Amino acid sequence: MGEFTVHRVRFFDYMPSAIRAMAFNPRTERLAVARADGAVEIFNFADNYFQEKVIPGRDGGTVEALCWVGPRLFGAGLNGAITEYDLENLRPRYSVEAYGGPIWTVSGDSAGTMLAVGCEDGTVKMFEILDETIRFQRNLERQKGRIISLSWHPSGALIAAGMIDMIRIFDAETGRATHRLLVERGAGASKSREVVVWSVVFLSDHTIVSGDSAGKVQFWDGHTGTLVRTHLVTKWDVLALAVSQDESSVVAGTSESIVVQFQFISSTVGRQDNEWVRTRTFKNHSHDVRALVHTETAVVSGGMDTQLVVRPLLDKVEKNTQESSLRKIAFPHRSLVCCAKKAGLLLFQFPEHLELWRLGESEGHGRAGDSLPVKRKPEKLIHLKRKGDDHIRCSAVSPCGGWLVYATVSGVRLYRIQHDNNNIGVTKVSKLPKSLCSAHQLCFSSDSSKLFAASGLSSVVVVALDPLECKHLHTLRPKSGSRQPVHLLCVSDDGKWLASANTDCEVHVYNLKKMKLHCKVPVYSSCPTAIGINPVTSNLVTVHADQQVFEFSLQQKEYTEWSRRLQQRGLHPVWLQRDTPVAHITFNPRNPAHIVLHDVFMLCIIDQSLPLPEARTPLLNQMMLRSLPEAERSRQSHAFKICKSFQHLLSMTLLDDQSLVAVERPLLDIVSQLPAPVRQKKFAT
Amino acid sequence: MARKQRGATAHGSSKTADNGDGGHAEHFSLLLESSDDEAPEEVTFEDSKTQALRSMKDALDTVRREKEQLKEKRRRRQELFQEQKKRRLLPADVLEEIDSSSFAKKQKPSDDKAEEQQQEEDDEEEEERGKTQKKRSGKLAHARNLKGNYTVATVKERSSATFQQQVAQDFIQSRLYGPGSCRTTNNELLSLQNKKGRNQSAAVQFVKKDWASKERAKAEKMKKRWIHKQQVHSC
Repeated sequence: MGEFTVHRVRFFDYMPSAIRAMAFNPRTERLAVARADGAVEIFNFADNYFQEKVIPGRDGGTVEALCWVGPRLFGAGLNGAITEYDLENLRPRYSVEAYGGPIWTVSGDSAGTMLAVGCEDGTVKMFEILDETIRFQRNLERQKGRIISLSWHPSGALIAAGMIDMIRIFDAETGRATHRLLVERGAGASKSREVVVWSVVFLSDHTIVSGDSAGKVQFWDGHTGTLVRTHLVTKWDVLALAVSQDESSVVAGTSESIVVQFQFISSTVGRQDNEWVRTRTFKNHSHDVRALVHTETAVVSGGMDTQLVVRPLLDKVEKNTQESSLRKIAFPHRSLVCCAKKAGLLLFQFPEHLELWRLGESEGHGRAGDSLPVKRKPEKLIHLKRKGDDHIRCSAVSPCGGWLVYATVSGVRLYRIQHDNNNIGVTKVSKLPKSLCSAHQLCFSSDSSKLFAASGLSSVVVVALDPLECKHLHTLRPKSGSRQPVHLLCVSDDGKWLASANTDCEVHVYNLKKMKLHCKVPVYSSCPTAIGINPVTSNLVTVHADQQVFEFSLQQKEYTEWSRRLQQRGLHPVWLQRDTPVAHITFNPRNPAHIVLHDVFMLCIIDQSLPLPEARTPLLNQMMLRSLPEAERSRQSHAFKICKSFQHLLSMTLLDDQSLVAVERPLLDIVSQLPAPVRQKKFAT
Repeated sequence: MARKQRGATAHGSSKTADNGDGGHAEHFSLLLESSDDEAPEEVTFEDSKTQALRSMKDALDTVRREKEQLKEKRRRRQELFQEQKKRRLLPADVLEEIDSSSFAKKQKPSDDKAEEQQQEEDDEEEEERGKTQKKRSGKLAHARNLKGNYTVATVKERSSATFQQQVAQDFIQSRLYGPGSCRTTNNELLSLQNKKGRNQSAAVQFVKKDWASKERAKAEKMKKRWIHKQQVHSC
């Protein structure tokens, strides 16, 4: 099979950002997640919860609330502006100042014509949603105190606003405040502290549900303005509320990291006296839950522990199926690490800077599972801070280690790296072609002579590298005219082929010698998560979000024999049930039949010369094979060789000298740097 | 009038000396006595003239002194500002270099050392943003030199929008993490998980090698000291 020395890299201090707000679009089945550093991520719930798009944030740009209006996404933050996001070019399209101070909440009415924002100065501002922009219409009656949360009545006639110590109901036509619901403060020591209504929901039968900082979930009658029922859920704050589409279930997220569900059912079977009863409690987080979404079949929660948790409700889905399992998305679905194969360098991408490290060296040989002594420690060569306020979107280092490039929303910066015995010099290349204004993905050719940048309309810009001035060589365009962004770029080792994949599930292959489109791979319904071109056979291998693997021959422009056999046999059920996507594909230069892939929890080498596994035999049979004698082993081994020794893998590459580089980020290291959790007194501790 | 003043002060002192209940009555009687018995004192014209002149001269003197003090203060401030302004501008050689370059974006010649390159980039940044950080080198003649090294930097302009944003962020921070929020540390959370987990293990700072390195070093020192003490005792 093969023996590899593995560089176990654990000095990548990757720190994800807390989830601040979420919004779900039921028609397109997309979830938009806003993080504390201003980044917005889009997850496709229909495609195995794949993280399709990431819009990077900027310094000082926090997003407090998100809202979908049809296919458009709006966000508002503490800098006082409402931003519409361009989901095709992955950037903010425009920002409109609300002139009311920091904005705490934004909400659109069910008709999709008006947008209401709650501001620091106590006004609820109404904006009209036009085709290309939004326009300020009027202010509702100004209140004494900040507006923390908002909710429209489904009819669009009333708005409930949660403030400090009270909830106000506004008439949307006249703008006057009609009712004032006074929220009780907490008992005991918290009597002197004001209670903040963190979240309100207005139901169609005029019931208002509110969650406040005293830990209560209260149900109010919106017609009379009276309190119907109080549920004391926690000693800390109730931070988020979400209601299901049919308004029969409300979930509340707390600082205590639990999510509580209330359902509108009757306490005795058969009778029709429905009331709101507390039913389930979900404990899937370790820190505060700040954002909640209730879809038709699941409860999606996110908070300060940076993980996105999807909990399907067991009365809506079938038990014990793939659909009903708990999903925790903790790591990004794209690679933040780039490896310079020939030079043995690693580039780590952080939102605000880049780090270039040289791998350490060890000597000696050992048996499988041994740790070799480290002769030379890994060292950080360059720490490059980004210019401007925007966060880094993508970055790359050339295989020889001589060029470094990164792209933000506003531009691309290219640097030349000089290695002189012990010194490293970084020079910025200032003359870049105008067509290289912004890039979604960046990739260097293997001989470090060209740079490929994916830009708008799924096109790829080819630039010749030169220390003084880089010239634009060509722009490769697909024929389909898709407007979706390219999220994967891959170039073959011999410099002949370039493959690009966009979020419309299209994969295009370009011939670099002729600089034109070579072919388009037949579109599969799931989005590709990783692509790679075999250096020897020139076959394109794609792995998709639903864990399907395809191999496409570029010379013959059709699926290979092995790929057809795999599809006929079908992939092993254990392989299909994995819940993290494959992030990177690489190949073994000494053995063209090997495909090396990895996802967060495993590393897999697919040997195309071995038989495919049967569905009823176990997939993870490496440990068992080791214990068998030689003859037995060759009968039982199959093509998928999976190793689970390294977790959690952020990246894995194969260097030219037959050593594997596995970049791990243990979850414990991330948890230890999170903000403080609440102190819970547990029995016997 | 002078007599009345003198009379009042004399009686004032005697009043304080007395400090009795009949103070008020006594005071009145004393005043009446003085006004009835004594003849008005003689004050010569020269005396009063010299006194008046003296007082005028004094007044003029004070005014002049004040003016001079103010002038002195203003002069000192002006000098201080000029000094600061001089320090704000970049050294002459860098200015020359910038002047001699073309108007288009010029390429700085690449150096081999990374630090120099970073410094040049920093300089570029400095002239773009107009921010300087320099150590106070010499002592200014009229300024006080406070103890310790400190740097002088111009403050970035903070508009009211960022101030409001800061207030809002402070509000969230204080509500969630401020006093009264009963928070604990991640260390404790993970240690409790270890204690209640299926495979019970020690608190996280003992399990992970690189955690709590300072406490570990302290514990090592204590252990060595204790062992040494034990050896000394036994010997």
